[in-house]
Amino acid sequence: MDLSLDESQQILVDTFSEMLEKECPTTHVREHEEVGFSPTLWSQYCELGAQVMGLPESVEGLDMSLLELGLVATQSGLALAPVPFLEVATAGRLLAAVNPEDPLLGAIVAGQPAVSLALPRPHAISGTASAAGGRVLVPFGTVADAVIALDGDTLYVAEGADKRRTARVQDLGSSALAHWDLDLSDGARVLATGPEAQRAMTRATAEWKLLAGFWLTGIARRALTIGADYAKERVQFGVPIGGFQAIAHPLAECSIRTDGAELLCHEAAWADEADPARFEMLASMAFTWASQTAIRTADTSLHTHGGYGFSTEYDIQLFYRRARALSSVGGGAQEELQTVAQLCFDPDGSCEADSLLGGPR
Amino acid sequence: MDFRLGAKAEEVKREIRAFLAENFSEADRKAAAEDGGGHDWALYRKLAANGWVSAGWPKEYGGGDRDPYEILTLYWELCKAGFPWIGLLNNGFIGHTLMAMGTDFHREEFVPKIASGEIAFALGYSEPGSGSDVAGARTMATRDGDDWIIDGQKMWTTTAHTAQYIFMLTRTSTQDRPHRGLTLFLVPTDAEGVDVQAIHTMGGERSNGVYLTQVRIPDSHRVGEVDKGWSVVRFALGLEQAMGYSDIHERFIENAGRWSLQSGADGQRPFDDGRVREQLAQTAIHAEVSRLLRHRSTWLAAEGMELGAKGAMTKSFSGTAYLEDAQRWMDLVGPAGLMKEGEDGALAEGNFDEAFRQTPVNTIYGGTVEILRSLVAEVELGLPKSR
Repeated sequence: MDLSLDESQQILVDTFSEMLEKECPTTHVREHEEVGFSPTLWSQYCELGAQVMGLPESVEGLDMSLLELGLVATQSGLALAPVPFLEVATAGRLLAAVNPEDPLLGAIVAGQPAVSLALPRPHAISGTASAAGGRVLVPFGTVADAVIALDGDTLYVAEGADKRRTARVQDLGSSALAHWDLDLSDGARVLATGPEAQRAMTRATAEWKLLAGFWLTGIARRALTIGADYAKERVQFGVPIGGFQAIAHPLAECSIRTDGAELLCHEAAWADEADPARFEMLASMAFTWASQTAIRTADTSLHTHGGYGFSTEYDIQLFYRRARALSSVGGGAQEELQTVAQLCFDPDGSCEADSLLGGPR
Repeated sequence: MDFRLGAKAEEVKREIRAFLAENFSEADRKAAAEDGGGHDWALYRKLAANGWVSAGWPKEYGGGDRDPYEILTLYWELCKAGFPWIGLLNNGFIGHTLMAMGTDFHREEFVPKIASGEIAFALGYSEPGSGSDVAGARTMATRDGDDWIIDGQKMWTTTAHTAQYIFMLTRTSTQDRPHRGLTLFLVPTDAEGVDVQAIHTMGGERSNGVYLTQVRIPDSHRVGEVDKGWSVVRFALGLEQAMGYSDIHERFIENAGRWSLQSGADGQRPFDDGRVREQLAQTAIHAEVSRLLRHRSTWLAAEGMELGAKGAMTKSFSGTAYLEDAQRWMDLVGPAGLMKEGEDGALAEGNFDEAFRQTPVNTIYGGTVEILRSLVAEVELGLPKSR
């Protein structure tokens, strides 16, 4: 067992941490609240190779693993970086897998936030579902030139933002959402069909969710630090409020849960290569738990601040809104529990008890 | 990065499963659950004969020199199988504590007998007036020549009715702050003046209260320096807090999962209900997080790294998450969940009832969740000490 990062992974963390500390203070996040995207910060990401990290060498990528991508996502979450790292990373890997010659890969390598993806069935409540075909809310759909989607068993790219992007919208978490018309019959370019298409999208969705889990863990970690720091400074009844158990214990609980989220994300990323039968299940668990944890931690930290936490002047509200929003963009934790249940207990519909929780222990 | 426990732990898993298959029948499991004492001498001596009692100790003390991953696996497998393992656990802790902090006499007289399964210890920290405030112990030990005279009462002394000794925290001074006047003794349960009385619990576990009246103990049975017992207790408690309940939490989710996939009389599976799927998933996630926190504690111990409050995190999360799951499941499954194993129509081998009865104590013994959260707040978040 070895739960530590190796030297190159630690360097990666330090590199992004230093860059983000310099280039993405919360003042920068606030300046880009309205659009949810910072072109200057994205170009800093691309200078560090973020857009090609997870791509294979054959398409000029750096061939890094999901763990390395996840470490960058966590740093991004800590800083609330307004960049489409998750979407570009997962859409790029999907394209490299199904169509390595795809011209969109060239645009990604060149540093354009060119491609996003429509996550299948992000929510099952009637009236909120955005199944492919028709208007779909796409994360970073405001800046993407193309969106990858699955309709039935057809995987395709919807290109032509002028025609297909019907509206940019403001949202709770500055997620750079836009409505796209993803109608398959309307001149979309087919990437794959049949089981291969479904497998590719399932895989890309699992990757997005795992990386979002890492990102949410970063949000939780920073929200916790902000709350703990405030609890040490704020004095009421003559003492720092962090000395009251009513303040300290909820923060401690969040600290434990955040450690759990980090471990679960790391395990899922590790499983991608070392225990592939459990990868998808763990990725789904990681997204769910990191969502629940980030939302809870941002809430706890906000309330540690009393009234100030509710004012726009304090940073914690930025974390409170984004924790909720990123989880919702992926469908939300409660919805994801259904996927976790399926993957844990009945992955192939066979009801075989020996496939419980990813196989015999 | 590697999340596997390793080949040696895998081998232990195979060995323990083989041991259980040979020595621990379904009838034994039911008898252990019925008895609730957490210790069975016949089974325990078989474990000892196979070297498992001293498995984690160094070779020089006759131990198996097993690494923390192997020990984790040993406890994990026994616990999941329903083996009465509390005695084993206590004796592992006591053995470690005596080796680290005892005298040559303790190491020669007691340690080999623990290893061979000849003697067993119960833990005597809590008292009627001191639980979380362990250092508030009032059971007095007073010098009398080369001996000590002990008077007082202990609570929650699980296995005291089957053990030969109690690892007992006593007060030897009231002059200084409470934690500076404590001393540890090895008190024989058959000594004159020791009276062990049963305490029965809602979870089926049998614990004890122990009354001590003018109990005479030789000074050679003292562990650590006089009035310096606090460091001994902290050492022993530290071993305990790193564990948690992820093993039985895993057994619970496996049972719930198997149950949910069986069709009922109406041809429907519980799994077909979205609420059941939701609760299954949440429980599975809790169990996984709990397991990971425990594995991290084990990894830190194996690497000799600073544990900080990571052990407290493990136990705190594990205790609360399993308790919450047990309560939610009971609310979900309706009246058939109320029956224990063996009753006509009991669900999932009575595991819903069993978990509901047993989990409340998980957030209490071995350090309450409130104490553990304070520790996490102080050590991990740097918040002021809180009471």
